[in-house]
Amino acid sequence: MTAQVETGSSPQAPEPEEESLAARLQRFVGRPSRPPVSAADPVNQPMVRHWCEAIGDGNPVYTDPQAAGASRHRGLVAPPTMLQVWNMPGLRPVPPLPGEDQLGELIGILDQAGYTAIVATNCEQEYARYLRPGDLLSATSMIEAISEEKRTALGSGYFINLHETYTDQRGEVVGTMMLRVLKFRPNERAESSPPAAPPRRPRPVVNDDNRFFWEGVGRGELLIQRCTGCARLRHPPRPMCPHCRSLEWDTRRSGGRGTVYSYVIPHHPPVPPFTYPHVVGLIELVEGTRLVSNVIDIDPAEVRIGMPVEVCFITVDDELVLPQFRPTVGNRER
Amino acid sequence: MAARFSDVEVGQSIPELQKEATTQTLVKFAGATGDFYQIHYDREFAQAAGLPDVILHGFLKKAFLAEAVSNWAGGPQRLRKLVAQYRGVDLPSRPGTQQLFTVRGTVTKKWEQDGERLVELQLEGVDTEGKVTTPGSAVVALAS
Repeated sequence: MTAQVETGSSPQAPEPEEESLAARLQRFVGRPSRPPVSAADPVNQPMVRHWCEAIGDGNPVYTDPQAAGASRHRGLVAPPTMLQVWNMPGLRPVPPLPGEDQLGELIGILDQAGYTAIVATNCEQEYARYLRPGDLLSATSMIEAISEEKRTALGSGYFINLHETYTDQRGEVVGTMMLRVLKFRPNERAESSPPAAPPRRPRPVVNDDNRFFWEGVGRGELLIQRCTGCARLRHPPRPMCPHCRSLEWDTRRSGGRGTVYSYVIPHHPPVPPFTYPHVVGLIELVEGTRLVSNVIDIDPAEVRIGMPVEVCFITVDDELVLPQFRPTVGNRER
Repeated sequence: MAARFSDVEVGQSIPELQKEATTQTLVKFAGATGDFYQIHYDREFAQAAGLPDVILHGFLKKAFLAEAVSNWAGGPQRLRKLVAQYRGVDLPSRPGTQQLFTVRGTVTKKWEQDGERLVELQLEGVDTEGKVTTPGSAVVALAS
C-alpha cells in the first residue's frame, strides 16, 4: 500500500530550510496518517472481558451470553466505545514503509521543534452498529486538520484532527472517530522553586505616554490628557492629538464624576486574583472622556447604564493604587 | 430499569454515575485498549510532560460517560454517538487521596428518525473538586 500524497511529490523531499514550521505542518493536512490497518484479532470475548473489568462496567450484554441473548441485541456485543481498540497497534510495532507513516513524520517534526508531549483533547465517535464476536475490522485514518500554534494551560502547541473510519469484513462502515490531539511544548514545572506567590492583580504597563496618569492615580488624582494645540481632552493617553495632530499636551484634573456608559460582568473563565462576580465598566466622565475601570460598592445586578458614579482610589497592594468607581452618594463634593 | 422513550422528558437528569480509577485501573485499561502511552502509568514520564501525576486515559473517561448513558438507558438500547472533550486532566486515586469521577447527564432532545427513537444527552464528567473536566454528549436509541 502506497501512501496517497496529494501533491505527488515525495514526502521525503528535502525541505527548504526557510520554510516555516507552520507551513511544513500544513502539508500533512489531507494525507492518510498511516496505511489502512487490519485488526490483529477479530472482536472477541476475552478482550471485551478485560475492557469491562478495567472500567468496571458490569453490563451483561457484553459478557453474559445468556443475558445478551435475551436482550435486544440477541447475543453478545462489544462495548461501542471499544471501537478504536480493535485496530490499536499495541506493542507490536509494524515498521512502516518509507513515506507511509505520515502521522509519525508529523509527530517527529513537532518533537524536534520542542513540542514533545501529546494529549488527546476531543473525541467523537459514531456507531453504525454494535460489534459482535467474530467481526474483523479495518481502519483508515486521515490527518484532517492542523491548527495554528495555540497557547493552552499545558503549554503552547498544535491541535491535530485525525479522522478514522472503521469497516467490517464485508467492507461496511461500522463506525467513525474524530480524535483531536494537542502536541505541545510542556510548561516548565516549578517543582524545586519556592511555592509561587499568590497571584496579584495585573500591573499597568507604565510608559512615557501614560506615566502622568499613573503618577496622578498614586496621588489620588484622576488626570486627563489635554492637547495644548486645540484644547481637546483625550483618553487613553497617547502622544499625538487625533484632532489636530499636535504633539504638545498637558493634563487636567478630572472632578471624578461620571456615568456608566457600558459594562460587563465577566463570569468565565475565572482569573485569579479577581473575585466573581464583579463589574467592568466603561465610565464616561463629566469632562467627556471615557475610561475602563470597575464599578464597586454595589451588587453587580444593580448596575445600570447611565447611573452616576464617582471615582475613588483603592490601594490594591503596596505597589498598586487603582482608580475605581462607585455609585454617587447624594451631592457630596469631592 | 430501562428508560422508556415515551417517559423521557427533555430536561430530565439521568442517575449520576460515580467512578474511581486507581493506578491499577490505568494499568489494566492500558492493557485492555493497547494504549501504552506512559503518561498513564509512569509518574516521572508524566511529570516530564508537565503533568502533576499520571492521568486517566481520555478513552477511559469516555467509557465512563458511555457507561452512565447505558446504565440509564437499560439493556435494550443502542449508543449511536458519543462526544467527549478532554478539557482538564483527571488523576487516579492515591492512598490517602481519593479522586472520584462523577458522570452527570441531562436529556436535551428526543425525536424519531428512520424508525428509531433517539434521545440526545448532554454529559459532564466532574472531578472530586467539582470541576467539569470532561464535557460531552451522546445520542442513544431507546427500545420503546
